[in-house]
Amino acid sequence: MATDQLSATFAALADPTRRAILARLTSGAASVTELAQPFEVSMPAISKHLKVLERAGLIARGREAQWRPCTIVASPLKDVADWVSHYRQFWEESFDRLDEYLTELQRKEKNRGRKK
Amino acid sequence: MAAKSDVIATIRPFVTSRTFDAPRALVWKVWNEPEHVAKWSGPKGTTITVSKLDFRPGGTQHYCMHTPGGDMWGKLYYREIKEPEKLVYVTTFSNEQGELTRHPLSETWPLEMLTTITFVENAGQTTITIEWIPINASETETKTFDENRAGMTGGWSGTFEKLAEYLATQ
Repeated sequence: MATDQLSATFAALADPTRRAILARLTSGAASVTELAQPFEVSMPAISKHLKVLERAGLIARGREAQWRPCTIVASPLKDVADWVSHYRQFWEESFDRLDEYLTELQRKEKNRGRKK
Repeated sequence: MAAKSDVIATIRPFVTSRTFDAPRALVWKVWNEPEHVAKWSGPKGTTITVSKLDFRPGGTQHYCMHTPGGDMWGKLYYREIKEPEKLVYVTTFSNEQGELTRHPLSETWPLEMLTTITFVENAGQTTITIEWIPINASETETKTFDENRAGMTGGWSGTFEKLAEYLATQ
């Protein structure tokens, strides 16, 4: 994934309203009016958020003239999730492996002790 | 101990810790000796090769993590070594020649991160705590780190958890 795309995804996700919009879209397509409902912000403000999300490739807008439903696009989010979880995964899995390795080393040490 | 000219970011660090059923002396040894490090460091499916090691304050370690997606080089600059309880180093990405590089996926990820690792023994068990904080970072770099700390520790807000669940089904 290009760095620019990843930056755009991060920028889009930095805003709580946009994250809430994405969370809403995980349960299905919605119109702008439907998306605006839970928020105390104007329709133009919601439209602006949607434009940012669309530019970041996180949502797609339908072509139907009347209500242009918004749908979530998963792949850029997946890249972000993969990227940020990399560090967590690094330490968690390293710790798991270290745990096993220490157990193995100590078992060997114990066995050697017994043979003496 | 950080050098005097260092500027440590004034944000919350990334912290992770784990307790192991082993005495501290053994944990320290396994944590720092390359032949042991190769046995456990990195996620499953990766191996770490230490190509250069100068284990003393002021010394460096140059290593390569071999992953299924390719090699990733990194460098550690040791700042403090207090056997067997504390280890402080600056970690960076690098190339094969050992020159500093940016995060392969993020231009705004801090170039240098101060890593403090403590080893605390209690009743034959050892708790390792790792703390990460950007050092000598620009405002943008500090912000990038700050915004992603939650994801690194697994503490994404409920919103993101919901997204993650959704992604898992994709």
